[in-house]
Amino acid sequence: MSTRADEEYDYLFKVVLIGDSGVGKSNLLSRFTRNEFNLESKSTIGVEFATKSIQTEGKTIKAQIWDTAGQERYRAITSAYYRSPMTYHVATLKIRGAVGALLVYDISKHSSFENVERWLKELRDHAEANIVVMLVGNKSDLRHLRAVETDEAMAFSEQHNLAFIETSALDASGVDTAFQRILTEIYRLMSRRNMAAEEGGNQPRLSTGQTISLNSENKPRKNCCQG
Amino acid sequence: MSRLPGFLRRTFSPHNEEKSSDESAPSSSPSSSHHSSSNDNDVDDDDGRTHSCATTRTTSTATVASTTTTTAPIVLRRGGSGGRQLRAVAFPPLPGKIIGGDDDEDGGEGGRGMGEGGGIDDDEYDGGKKAMGAGGGEGGGGGGIIGSSNHAVFPSSSSSSSSSSSSPMTMPAVPKTYRERQFDAILSSPIASLRELRKLAWNGVPLHMRPIAWKILLGYLPANAGRRETTLRRRRDEYRDAVRRHYDIPDNSRTNAEQETLRQVLVDVPRTAPDVPLFRDPRVRRCLGRLLYVWATRHPASGYVQGINDLATPLLAVFVGERLGCGVVVVDGPDDDGVDGGCAGIGIADVLDGSRMASITDGMMEEVEADTYWCLTSLLSGIQDHYTSDQPGMQRMVMRLEELVNRIDAELASHLRYTGIEFMQFAFKWMNCLLLREFQLPCVMRLWDAYLSEGDGGFEDFHVYVCASFLVHFSPTLKQMGFDELFQFMQNMPTDDWGDREVEILLSSAFVLSTLFGGSDAHLNVVRNTI
Repeated sequence: MSTRADEEYDYLFKVVLIGDSGVGKSNLLSRFTRNEFNLESKSTIGVEFATKSIQTEGKTIKAQIWDTAGQERYRAITSAYYRSPMTYHVATLKIRGAVGALLVYDISKHSSFENVERWLKELRDHAEANIVVMLVGNKSDLRHLRAVETDEAMAFSEQHNLAFIETSALDASGVDTAFQRILTEIYRLMSRRNMAAEEGGNQPRLSTGQTISLNSENKPRKNCCQG
Repeated sequence: MSRLPGFLRRTFSPHNEEKSSDESAPSSSPSSSHHSSSNDNDVDDDDGRTHSCATTRTTSTATVASTTTTTAPIVLRRGGSGGRQLRAVAFPPLPGKIIGGDDDEDGGEGGRGMGEGGGIDDDEYDGGKKAMGAGGGEGGGGGGIIGSSNHAVFPSSSSSSSSSSSSPMTMPAVPKTYRERQFDAILSSPIASLRELRKLAWNGVPLHMRPIAWKILLGYLPANAGRRETTLRRRRDEYRDAVRRHYDIPDNSRTNAEQETLRQVLVDVPRTAPDVPLFRDPRVRRCLGRLLYVWATRHPASGYVQGINDLATPLLAVFVGERLGCGVVVVDGPDDDGVDGGCAGIGIADVLDGSRMASITDGMMEEVEADTYWCLTSLLSGIQDHYTSDQPGMQRMVMRLEELVNRIDAELASHLRYTGIEFMQFAFKWMNCLLLREFQLPCVMRLWDAYLSEGDGGFEDFHVYVCASFLVHFSPTLKQMGFDELFQFMQNMPTDDWGDREVEILLSSAFVLSTLFGGSDAHLNVVRNTI
């Protein structure tokens, strides 16, 4: 299992995959973590999950990637995964806040791009304020069916201050880059904030639990269990 | 196996042993081989099989209690949540009280289990359990669904005569078994006894009778045999009419919501059971898309929710199987895929591989579609709030599952808490798709035989017990895993080699749970409030 080899890591980041149903979220995940692609994969119900570690700037970063169901009906339930509301549970430390989101649309379905704005609102309402968001135009292999121009998406992402990339889970182009970039960006953002915290003394931001840096398995503290 | 919790161990061991004995000595007297084999190592099993209902329950309670007790040192060693767990440890006396009550009023339990409505007496319960044992053993070996359900699934008084007719397993042409004749008698009587049908069907419906049995159990076909033909005709006409009004219309006359529904349904149809060739058949896909869309537009409170497509697949497969004459001839021929060996005619595997679709006319397909639509409608009407806004039913079931696991396997429950995995994270799918994502279709069909026989609560209350048994079945493995591993394991439970035998073991332990905890919400609440 891919998780076996990468027990050692410097940072653990939780990233969620969101976007309309059928845009290829699950395949992006399986391409990145297992190098697999399945043209006819079943729809995701609830959440699915996989991990993979990458190296960036001399650090090992373990990405815990949560794949969510795309159908609108499920948003109420999936939003629970941006930020765990079940505070009485222990050890949600490890998964507490998503620090990154890949917002995926299908370049061959304009409606999935139009819905990006609704997903952004979803993030604003439910996710941590400093979450790093990357807009991902998937299925770039479907050139002849392209319905969303790259320029259009790029303009949109600049306007909303999002990172942007086009990928194809099918031919694997851009997939590793997308994950590498968002994880690196999260890492830099976190380092900057850590530094700011050191300089600024008792900044409370560090304890918000958005990012968890640890060198070994995180053990639940005793007082967490009583809730 | 020996590390399974007591209540599962009790039901697991004997089946395995029976299987080997049945296979090795098919011509010897099955009843004697059962006894000699089950003497092996587990005294409980022998007792459980031959004693009365009360004995069985007491035994399982004792083991549940002891399981709970053993968690205490482990939890304390972890030092995680002493107060919470210590209180849980204080619970074991409770089940004893429940049991005491049950023993006094067996009849009151009737609706929940093998029998229906009229209560179970000890004999019936015992007969049912025997049936599970015998069916399980043979099913795994190759008797398949027909084989497994033909044998000994009736009150114990008659079980000996049927189990002595183990010849069907080895003879090419088989006269109807006692069990099939029982189904025949019910289904062909002027007014089918639903109560009898449920009692029989709980233990598995013979392949070729499953379509009509399911239709009656779902209330699609009337119990009155004389009215079935006209009912079918009328309902199929109604459906055809609904398709005309809702589906066969230009897109610009659909509302926005309807267009969105159609889009979602069309996205999901090719992703529905894509590993089963039957569902790659273009006509099957068209019919699935149409019936899902029509259902959604006629049930706006819920609308189409992903997962409902999964629920349509067992129905569709069973009704396609009906047209192919699935399971009509029973011949020897064990195969080890655990799916449906033993059918020389058409088996479930032949239906699912889609290779015979050419012999299904468009007219037949239209009727299959209508039957599926109405049966799906009926099934969903029993679990409406599973798919309405915010899916309250789903949340209720997940919560109930968690409470149940707290009770029956506190050690596992505390391990799950320790790792930080939440029941909602893995069990939501189990509830939303009724384990269709966890099991192969033939297993689901066998599961549904029992769910449909449970009456209203089958797809909700009883399903939760099945999920609890399912989870606890993997308890030893799960307890070794950390969060990442757990989550990935639960996403892909290792059930590929499961057949009827394993499903029946699951059903019987779920049944035990339901007799222990059924109707005892108050007890579960005690747990919730204390924790």
